Amino acid sequence: MEDKKFNIEIFDIKLDTQFIGRNFYYYDELDSTNSFLMDKKFGAKENGCVVLAEFQTSGRGRLERTWESQKNLNLTFSILFTELEMIENSLSILNLATSLVVAQSIENLFQLKTDLKWPNDILIKEKKVAGILLESSSSGSKLNKLIIGIGLNVNQSKFLGEYKIPPTSIRIESRSIIERERVLAEILNNHEAMIYKLVDNPSSMLNDWKNKCSMLGEKICIEQNGKLIYGVFEDIDEEGYLLLRTKKKIEKINFGDVSVI
Amino acid sequence: MDLEYIKKLVRLLDSTSLTSIEIEEDGIYIKLKKESKIPKLVTTQINPQSQIVENMNTISVPAKTETVKQETKEEKSSSKLHEIKSPIVGTFYRAPTPEADSYVRVGDKISVGSVMCIIEAMKLMNEIESDVAGKLIKILVENGTPIEYGQPLFLIEVE
Repeated sequence: MEDKKFNIEIFDIKLDTQFIGRNFYYYDELDSTNSFLMDKKFGAKENGCVVLAEFQTSGRGRLERTWESQKNLNLTFSILFTELEMIENSLSILNLATSLVVAQSIENLFQLKTDLKWPNDILIKEKKVAGILLESSSSGSKLNKLIIGIGLNVNQSKFLGEYKIPPTSIRIESRSIIERERVLAEILNNHEAMIYKLVDNPSSMLNDWKNKCSMLGEKICIEQNGKLIYGVFEDIDEEGYLLLRTKKKIEKINFGDVSVI
Repeated sequence: MDLEYIKKLVRLLDSTSLTSIEIEEDGIYIKLKKESKIPKLVTTQINPQSQIVENMNTISVPAKTETVKQETKEEKSSSKLHEIKSPIVGTFYRAPTPEADSYVRVGDKISVGSVMCIIEAMKLMNEIESDVAGKLIKILVENGTPIEYGQPLFLIEVE
């Protein structure tokens, strides 16, 4: 049965981390796992704690775009960071790093070729298999917490509705039913290793990311709040900015929806 | 001229409105002079004047105090204005979505922990909370504009 509930014991056996996922919150249903961790009234405060919901009533992406995911089939979860000394200097590339972790985890387990879309979408054969939403909270100029929300389509076989980028799942692409516990443990194990790597050698992460981004070097269009910018996707700089070569100059882009033209 | 005569002259002077009597008799010259009412009048004139002066002083003194107070108030209020600055480089949003209401408006009462805005950088949506309680005086940047690190975003009059 592909829609059986998440088995925490199996997950725990496969989890090989020091702090990420060591505190684990499991819910049948939440409005959104990111909102749960952002909300002060809930008690989840441990650095590295993970909250997983089998179903999100208001799963969301950037600018409150909705994230649809059927119950008990996929992975919708969030990781909380409250000890920020290690990642504070890597904030701008944490999105890239997280998408790389998810892509590499899928490739390691299922030998599926993934493609990364700036800054953090994970695609298989031009279809979106996972999305990431990073949220943080600052009090004045002091960063209090950072939340990495990941939605990964695992065992869902049909997607109804309209999407900006057509969706897919690991099941569709691999043609097999997937053990979600194994996927989650793999992502969390790799994520913790990535956190240490970002401190020691951020440029190697950026190189790995660029190697998985087929848009690099292509003519692209970036939509920023209704404004369209055209150019060539020249490079990613050390802060994760997209460098867009336009007719006049190289522009540093830090947000927007990117598509190949 | 005996003493009794002089006393009579004094009583005369006292009982009249005269201010001085001068008599020269048998080679003796006497001049009696009393403090005229004029000086008294002058005194009364002086008194109102002094009162005016005093009043003016009393008016001007509090006025000064008021000015001083105002200055102190201004000094105090300028020291009580608090700027919330951006902790990251990114894009400033006043609302969670383009359609939604702004988190805060000018004049709003702000508590510690009130969400003021979102700054987006590399798809990291950073909610900025107020670190002080007070009243929102000014929003210093336009919605959707790029923000530099440390750029002031809001001006809050601290309670």
